[in-house]
Amino acid sequence: MIRLENVTKSYSTEVVAVKDASFDVAKGEFVFLVGPSGSGKSTLLRMLNRQDRPERGAVWVAGRNIVDLPGGRIPMLRRNIGNIFQDYKLLLEKNVFENVAFAQEVIGRPKHVIKQQVPAVLDLVGLAGKEERMPNQLSGGEQQRVSIARAFVNRPLILLADEPTGNLDPATGEGIMRLLDRINKTGTTIVMATHDQRIVNTMRKRVIQLDRGIIVRDQARGVYE
Amino acid sequence: MLSRVRYIFRETFDSFRRNATLTVASIITAAISLLGVGLTLLSQEGFDNLLSKWEGGVEMIIFMRPDVTADQRALIEANLDGNNQFIESWTYCDVDCSLAERDRVLAAEPGTRDLITADNIPTQYKAVPTEATDVALLRQVTDAFSEGPGVFEVVFAEDQISLIEQLQSFFGFRLFLLSGFLLLAAILLIWNTIRTAIFSRRREIEVMKLVGATDWFIRVPFMLEGLLHGVIGGGLASVGLFAWNSQWTDGVQGFPPNSGFAALVITNGYDKFVMLIMLAIGAIAGAIGSGIAASKFLDV
Repeated sequence: MIRLENVTKSYSTEVVAVKDASFDVAKGEFVFLVGPSGSGKSTLLRMLNRQDRPERGAVWVAGRNIVDLPGGRIPMLRRNIGNIFQDYKLLLEKNVFENVAFAQEVIGRPKHVIKQQVPAVLDLVGLAGKEERMPNQLSGGEQQRVSIARAFVNRPLILLADEPTGNLDPATGEGIMRLLDRINKTGTTIVMATHDQRIVNTMRKRVIQLDRGIIVRDQARGVYE
Repeated sequence: MLSRVRYIFRETFDSFRRNATLTVASIITAAISLLGVGLTLLSQEGFDNLLSKWEGGVEMIIFMRPDVTADQRALIEANLDGNNQFIESWTYCDVDCSLAERDRVLAAEPGTRDLITADNIPTQYKAVPTEATDVALLRQVTDAFSEGPGVFEVVFAEDQISLIEQLQSFFGFRLFLLSGFLLLAAILLIWNTIRTAIFSRRREIEVMKLVGATDWFIRVPFMLEGLLHGVIGGGLASVGLFAWNSQWTDGVQGFPPNSGFAALVITNGYDKFVMLIMLAIGAIAGAIGSGIAASKFLDV
């Protein structure tokens, strides 16, 4: 599903964010990217949805090298990739339903499809009955569930999660991880950047560890070291 | 398709609501600048009307000496006929006609009138030039006829035509320049309004990009918003122009009949044409301002 070949990305001559990174992620796999702040986790995620481009190397997503993907084709790539963020990035003037529906609306899904799929995904993430709530009426965990619902409503092949539990207490974080695990079991590939040692150790999924942009460990059913 | 159209209009009007103050400011600026453009066009048309009135009626008058012979008159008439590229038509005003004109023009000055008699009054050829507003050409024609046999004097309305042309050039250029600056201000304000709208919705745009909305889909509501600023501004300017022209028309009707201002009244439908032009310029200005902003600032 994902393949990186000798990918290097730097932001200046002194700051190398990712250096010569190579790995494969199979369809339906769940991968943790771990490492300290500034180790290149977020840069890797940004290259997977073409928010950033590497200087060198190839990034293959769903069988296509996206490094030289023409600008007009990037939206199509992104329709196959869901994004989850630490700060949720919810639209504060829209309610729960509208936030999730927004992801379908802007890619032109018909209204009847939106009416059918949004309640289904809200039910999946445990927010049935809260469609009319505004984001500021929700807890942090609930807001992250809305963010996950929005990322998943278009049934992407891949979910990229950047510190999704970073703003949550441990119990709420665990709930979010259970939800991501459920989504992963539907066949969705998940790549998640995290600092959360406890979660990584509990989930026992594949762990790719970065240190100053270099992959220093790639371990199946790994733990946070 | 329908859902996309609905989305675009909803987002456009939401943006109007969110940036109400800036939106109103940019619409008013667009309206004022477009009104300036409209008034420039109307005043130009007014001056053209004034000139065309001269064009239809201006006469180059060739005064003949009282002792002019038939041969000399025949030569002048042959010259008038032979220069039909400059002379559209001509009439001859003989002694009786000239005396009747004397009575009319000098009615208030009987002393002077009585000094001019059938023996000393010059007869006249009244010629209508083909290009009555081309002062330089008229002067050439006049000079040529001045040297003809039996000619006493040749006159034409040079001063009046020059004055109208000077006024047209003076007002036209300055109003045009002012309108241009105002139009530029309107484009910049629309550009800034759209930039602000984009900035206030940067999170939304970021989410849209990440879920796979195309750049055009994101841009269109902003471009439509700028277009509407221009069109609404053009509409308001049209209302203003209509009111101005109505007031002017009513006002001129109260002026003396021969004041010359009647020609400056635009009643031939040209004012409606100018309103359409203002709407079109408004739309173009709005599209340019918002198009540039939407293209330049979408990388949020």
